[in-house]
Amino acid sequence: MRLLVLSLILLAAGGFHSAAKAAVPAECQDVAKKYPSLAGKTLHMGADPQTPPYASLDPENPGKLVGSDIDLAKAVFDCIGVKYEIQPAAWSGLFPAVLAGQIDLMYYLYYNKSRVEKGDFIVYMKAGTGAITQAGNPKHIISGEDLCGKIVATGLGSVEEAQMRELSTKCTTSGKSAVEVMTYSDHAAGFRLVANDRADIMLTDLALVDKTVADNPKTYVRAYGVISGFQIGVAVKKGNTELEGAILDAMKAVQAAGIQKQIFAKYGVDPSLELPAELKTN
Amino acid sequence: MTWPAEVSAYFWSGFLWRGALLSVEITAVAMTIGLFLGLLLALVRLSPIRLVSSAAWFYTWVVRGTPQLLQLVFIFDALPLIGIKFGSFTTAVIGFSLNQAAFAAEVIRGGILSVNAQQTVAASSLGMGPVLTLRRIVLPQAMRAILPALANDTIGMLKMTSIASVIFVDELTFRSQEIVGQNFKFFTVFAGAGMIYLVLTSIISLSQAGLERWLDPERRATLRLPRWLSGLAQPQALAAATLTQTELAALLPVAAVKSSEQAIPFVVCHNVWKGYGGRKVLTGAALTVHAGEVVAVIGPSGSGKSTLLRLINHLDSIDQGEITVAGRYVGYVKQDGRLKPTGGRARARAEVGVAMVFQQINLFGHMTALENIMEAPIHVHGLPRAQAEAEARRLLEVVGLTGHAHHYPQHLSGGQQQRVAIARALAVKPRLMLFDEPTSALDPELMGEVLSVMRTLAEAGMTMIIVTHEIRFAREVADRVLFFDGGVVVEEGSPSEVLDRPRKERTRRFLNLITQGTGVMPEAAAPFHASTRPS
Repeated sequence: MRLLVLSLILLAAGGFHSAAKAAVPAECQDVAKKYPSLAGKTLHMGADPQTPPYASLDPENPGKLVGSDIDLAKAVFDCIGVKYEIQPAAWSGLFPAVLAGQIDLMYYLYYNKSRVEKGDFIVYMKAGTGAITQAGNPKHIISGEDLCGKIVATGLGSVEEAQMRELSTKCTTSGKSAVEVMTYSDHAAGFRLVANDRADIMLTDLALVDKTVADNPKTYVRAYGVISGFQIGVAVKKGNTELEGAILDAMKAVQAAGIQKQIFAKYGVDPSLELPAELKTN
Repeated sequence: MTWPAEVSAYFWSGFLWRGALLSVEITAVAMTIGLFLGLLLALVRLSPIRLVSSAAWFYTWVVRGTPQLLQLVFIFDALPLIGIKFGSFTTAVIGFSLNQAAFAAEVIRGGILSVNAQQTVAASSLGMGPVLTLRRIVLPQAMRAILPALANDTIGMLKMTSIASVIFVDELTFRSQEIVGQNFKFFTVFAGAGMIYLVLTSIISLSQAGLERWLDPERRATLRLPRWLSGLAQPQALAAATLTQTELAALLPVAAVKSSEQAIPFVVCHNVWKGYGGRKVLTGAALTVHAGEVVAVIGPSGSGKSTLLRLINHLDSIDQGEITVAGRYVGYVKQDGRLKPTGGRARARAEVGVAMVFQQINLFGHMTALENIMEAPIHVHGLPRAQAEAEARRLLEVVGLTGHAHHYPQHLSGGQQQRVAIARALAVKPRLMLFDEPTSALDPELMGEVLSVMRTLAEAGMTMIIVTHEIRFAREVADRVLFFDGGVVVEEGSPSEVLDRPRKERTRRFLNLITQGTGVMPEAAAPFHASTRPS
């Protein structure tokens, strides 16, 4: 019952959004025609609202999600011409829900070998890692070389955690002190580790670091940033070819119209991180 | 905005309260289902059938032994692979109820075990079936032990719903984390959310206190009956004898027995054998009691007297032999020449009309004297409440306790309790009353009042089998005395035959022993309470 009411509200909200949205690129006409099976459907997308600037609560209206991924997703949905629902959930629950078919897709998942065995990816941006430290950079960290012997906070199970474990071994073999890795379960907890001097530095998504520094210049500073080799994509259940095709085509249209760059700029994400849309199935 | 203003703003945030409402909804539904399943599971765990109880044990083992987060993810994300797909709210309710069932089962089982097993025996002797006994007698008393743990579980669950954020349940903790993820004001946001939790858990704690108060018979009694009012009803020293025989007879179905079944013996025990774990207690005992007869059974402790009583109304099953009451088996069918116990024993007991009074008294601790008496007539025999209450009040009058109708057992003396127990047994209109050492647990000065009530009953024509050590009482009241030893009837006859001129050496020895304390011979052994029980 409750679910029904909730879905109706979300549906109504979703419908309102698609109606209010203007400026759909001309190429989108073809996308809608090419995938008629999606017409009239409601796509379910999951997002973790603890990942600004990609997805977070709208400070003006906490019932609503905003962010670059949210805007990009909406632009792509509108281009396909489908209704949609965006549901908030904890990050670790998102990809399992995609694989189980509880939701249709999620944004901002790092593409890698083991994940692509389970799901298909439409990559749309390059990953950047930012290192955030206390304002004034008291430990003088300016690159990854400086991390031996430091306390580094990373997300639990993240690529940064794996990199740091690897770096730690390198540090000790070359006679330097090991890296002490502290993991956190949500970004806010990680930032608190740095603010409270429990960690010297925190490694996470570059755009998130830049946004946090911009919002709290008295507390944090960016120590350094790197564009890593990783690609970030929309994850869908393996073999869902209609949906993959539609997202790929719509993403291409959105990128061609310059909409993705506009959205990135709006949320403080470096527009040069855009990656030409591409389907990855292995 | 100053920080207190900010905390207050988050505390009043509709966004957070909507998340809290979701937690409350999940907790309420899951707790209800979980308790129901937990009760079933607890009962299954208490089952004597090994396979059944092992299955329940296995369930509890798995569910308690694995993290709830993984269970939720499993239900939400793994079951769809085999075609079973639940939404997030449903998944949370399923996950939390299944978990609660496992924990509640152990709590409820502990509560049930904390209730004296004799309470069940007493209920059963009144004709109350297992389900009725559980609902009316065991659970209400177990609740006092169960409730604090369940309140703990409820509070725990309310807070634990936060783990359901991995399955798209957008509840209070997750919503506060979302706000922090956006503005990093963790202190004020979490303080506001914490206050919301405090409000909710306080409501649970207050409900717990209220329920505990309600379940406490003494405090409930003061709620129902103001002190000044209960003070008016002074205990009366009214003796049972003040009631006329005709008035008492009207309360008993004795007359009916006499006219229709006088011809055949009312109770027949033939070659009865019973052992407990290799120890033979009854070895071919035989006994015949006619309607309207009062039979006193005497004998050393451990001679099997009480066991025989328990077999007559089938509180225990016989190993060999036959027992009939009013010409029928109580809760047995005959199969291949042997008696085989059947279900529905309590019902059979009620139909035949056997009631029992115990040495340990066994009044229902959570009920007043009046409620104790009314229980079986209403719930076993389907009497309208008003009628049951009127009859119960008259029975209290019979046993001389008019002023104690609303007193709980713990406020009555042993003698008063035993008189209530007799009234309770009489309320089911029995045709046969079994007394199992009814005065042995009482102080000597309280025995008289109980024996006096029993004498009145005997005079009214009730069929009675009385296991007792009160030799003088047996002499006065019994039509027949049986001396029981070593699992068989050694000697029987009129009181003067058995007590004054025993033929058997064993009887003589026993009677000498039991009257030694007074230094007088049995026929002269005066007060009931002067006897010493043989060890």
